[in-house]
Amino acid sequence: MNETTIDAVGLAASSSAPVARLNVPFEFRATGGEYFRIWIVNLLLTIVTLGIYSAWAKVRRLRYFYGSTLLDGHSFEYHGKPLAILKGRLVVFAVYVVFLVVTEMWPLAVLLMIPIVIFAVPWIIVKARLFQMRMTSYRNLRFNFHGTYGGAMSAFVGWYFLVILTLGIIFPMWVRRQVAYILGNTAFGTTQFRFVTGNGRFFAFCYATMGLGILVYGAFFVLLFQAGLMNPQNNPDMAPGDLAKLIGLAGLCKLLLIAMAGVSVVGYYQAALANASFGGIEIGQTRVISKLRASSLIWIQVTNLLGLVFTLGLFYPWAKVRVMRYHLENTSLDTAGGIGEFTASAGSATDPLGEELGDFFDMDFGL
Amino acid sequence: MIAGRFFDGTSSVGAPAHLTLGADGIARLHGLPVRIEAPADALKFSERVGSIPRRVTFPDGGVFETRDNDAIDEARETLGLKGGKAWLHRLESRWNVVLGSLATVVLLSVAFVQWGVPAIANQVAQVMPVQADRAIGIGTLDAFDRTLFEPSKLPAKRRTELSKEFADMTSPLGDGHQYQLEFRNSESIGANAFALPSGIVVMTDDLVKLAKSDEEIIAVLAHEIGHVRGRHALRQLLQAAGISALAVALLGDVSSISGILSGAPALLHAKHSRDFEREADAFARQWLREHDIDETKFDAILCRMTKTAGQSETEAIDYFSSHPPTDERVRCSPASDK
Repeated sequence: MNETTIDAVGLAASSSAPVARLNVPFEFRATGGEYFRIWIVNLLLTIVTLGIYSAWAKVRRLRYFYGSTLLDGHSFEYHGKPLAILKGRLVVFAVYVVFLVVTEMWPLAVLLMIPIVIFAVPWIIVKARLFQMRMTSYRNLRFNFHGTYGGAMSAFVGWYFLVILTLGIIFPMWVRRQVAYILGNTAFGTTQFRFVTGNGRFFAFCYATMGLGILVYGAFFVLLFQAGLMNPQNNPDMAPGDLAKLIGLAGLCKLLLIAMAGVSVVGYYQAALANASFGGIEIGQTRVISKLRASSLIWIQVTNLLGLVFTLGLFYPWAKVRVMRYHLENTSLDTAGGIGEFTASAGSATDPLGEELGDFFDMDFGL
Repeated sequence: MIAGRFFDGTSSVGAPAHLTLGADGIARLHGLPVRIEAPADALKFSERVGSIPRRVTFPDGGVFETRDNDAIDEARETLGLKGGKAWLHRLESRWNVVLGSLATVVLLSVAFVQWGVPAIANQVAQVMPVQADRAIGIGTLDAFDRTLFEPSKLPAKRRTELSKEFADMTSPLGDGHQYQLEFRNSESIGANAFALPSGIVVMTDDLVKLAKSDEEIIAVLAHEIGHVRGRHALRQLLQAAGISALAVALLGDVSSISGILSGAPALLHAKHSRDFEREADAFARQWLREHDIDETKFDAILCRMTKTAGQSETEAIDYFSSHPPTDERVRCSPASDK
């Protein structure tokens, strides 16, 4: 087993001898069949309890996926408590109902809501991330999040206005700021992550995505214009079948091709974003390596899409496992010190009172 | 002896260890430099999910991690420890339970889409004010005017006559909708009429010409009023929202499928749209009967519209069609051409 070698390396590092760097890959042991059974029982219990069980279902699902994710022979663990999640969901639901009622009675109140939302969003982001990280452990050591409200306000809202002021030119920097805020403020035990990917990389793939996206949209509108607007033989209230009649089989094939191209652009963006984001993490002497290939991700997503369509959604558990497996198995750690070097901050992993308080305040908003 | 690894919680260094749960009710870890033991009922066992490793948490925060789920369950049973939701794992491991769950979920989902969503949408629509309908249709007529329509070429006198008929029909309804009749000419649409949720009913010149009597026009208008009064546009929107919510609830969060999830309402749009047409037909017939107008006028004009549109009456129905087949809605007789 390679775990013993890693621990040996860890010991060697602590005795300050120079060691070669080691590559430790993530491993994902979940299977579609196993997840299918968990998923379907979760679904049934959620339906018969009118949605209340969904909080328990979420914990089971996350525990299954975290527990199936292995690094150096050890799995991650999710510690979220269903009641905390249920509470969070009830709060969200209550706020939503209040919002609906208020805007229904005083439509202009929407204008008042905007500043409230602007100030609430960073708070929600901090709380959700904090909950997520504190509820995650690896080798009995919890993750943590040190992001501040001000930091979230600047990264998510402040930069948003800067992007508008610069007519969107610096959009990639905004994306980088958000990723840097979320990942750079994360910590494993007492060791805080550093985020080192520069702006250049974000500019490159964001602009490439935008260019490809414009091409796909252009093709879509050309097709619509040729078929739809030039030759409206049908009722204005158009159903999908009417559209099929309108553009014919050739048009339908073109439409399908364009849809595939659209999925591909999204896949390219997701792969590039994951590589730039996770690949930019440094934890102590350890670097994260993320080597997703856009073509592989697109292939998985397109085949997933077909699988879902032809099984009327039953393929879902396999689809989910495939995507996660691809992400994880193309991510690895490049480490010099070994994974044994991290330590807990005093009490953070073991203080039961802290955990209870955490459950009370750190509601999970299901983000 | 259960083999695993122990993490004390102060650092990420782990050590191989063995756990025993003795008959005396004491849990002991072996093979570690320090002695670690605790009463078995003070331990926290993580719930069993799939084949992921099991965690046994000691009172001081140390965690023993093992892949030997069966051994843990056996030891717990021997010691008579309760809880741990083992029944959930048993449900999830049995294929007959899984298949039963699957069948139930599918049945419930289908029933919900078939009856639940329309009923809920109807209830919600009833508590929403009429202004909501108006908000949906804003700008629609302008958009059609730019693309499909040109101004009506009917004589002004004819239009005034029909507008008056329409006003006579709608003013006693008193349902809060602002009914208004508009005339347009359109080469591409042919003889047709449609209603906007705001209460505007649009009729094409071709339809007015196609009608053999004002009563036939009134029959078509009654059908369109049925759409507005039944608040079909609002209910359509609410139903789409409900189905999207259901799809997301069932299939959650795979980013690659969010595309089809948003398409799910479109697939069912046609079915609900046909239901609304039937409802509007029923309203038209009821209205005609109440006002002593021959119901067959409705059949006659509908049949003629179908013919001029060049569709066969017994269309091998495409599942996606937004209207029910004409021969289901009306009985077309050769007489209707006269």
